[in-house]
Amino acid sequence: MTAVLPDTDSGAARRRRAAYVTLRVSGLLLTVLVLGHFAITHVTTDVADTDSRFIDERWASALWIGWDGLMLAATLLHAVLGLWAVIADYSPGRRRAWRGVLLTAAGLVFACGMALLVVAATGGR
Amino acid sequence: MTLPQFLFFCAFAVVALVIIAFGVVVVRTARLDDGGPFVSRALVARLARPGRDRAELQRWAFYLHRVSGVGLFVFLCLHVGDVSLYVISKDLYDEVHHVYGSVPMRIAEVGLLFGLLFHTFNGLRLVAVDVADLGLAASTRALYGVLAATVACGLAGSVFILGPVFA
Repeated sequence: MTAVLPDTDSGAARRRRAAYVTLRVSGLLLTVLVLGHFAITHVTTDVADTDSRFIDERWASALWIGWDGLMLAATLLHAVLGLWAVIADYSPGRRRAWRGVLLTAAGLVFACGMALLVVAATGGR
Repeated sequence: MTLPQFLFFCAFAVVALVIIAFGVVVVRTARLDDGGPFVSRALVARLARPGRDRAELQRWAFYLHRVSGVGLFVFLCLHVGDVSLYVISKDLYDEVHHVYGSVPMRIAEVGLLFGLLFHTFNGLRLVAVDVADLGLAASTRALYGVLAATVACGLAGSVFILGPVFA
């Protein structure tokens, strides 16, 4: 008698597996990046002091440009994958529309954020 | 309050409304689709008794994970927007940034910290559940750890965030 094995080799199954792993790996990465970001802007420096001078100093270093760029990319990847599942659960009728909204928002935030980092790294000073 | 600060305040109000609206969707859908956990005093009493109703407790951790995740994403959109002002004009950035140091915004930042900590620790728990193949009892104990760590780190962080208000 042959057992019915779950489909593990089709393209859809491979994509689901990749999304599952990416969601978790980006989450692990964000644990360090985002908690570090919050600690720097709220614990070691008071929020009121994170003004444009604070950003001048921070973005003068390649470490923080890299940190913020990686954090932005990982966050958006994590958000799109997570919200993709949320949309699948909550909007049976308007899935395509909500996915469009999600991808547009994530794309805009990515474009704005990366452009910001590039300008700050090259022409800001 | 200047016009840019007022606009930031309005955008922040929109963020808060989206979080509340999504919370309502999650709770309503929970009641309709997932077997009817009504938000009631009886439910809270049941969840508060350790080990009494583990599956129900984990379900509420899942809902809280979703709501906090959506909240963090919506706040991120606003936050990238306000930091982008830095390249347009540093003075404009500083003007809007003043709002971050105000008392109401600091209280919102405490909420942000708690959401961030819960989402992080609960996310680590979900990874641990899969990697170490934890059962219901062990993952429930891990959830108590998540809640304890969230409250402990959240209160510690709140001291730093709200400290300057009282100083």
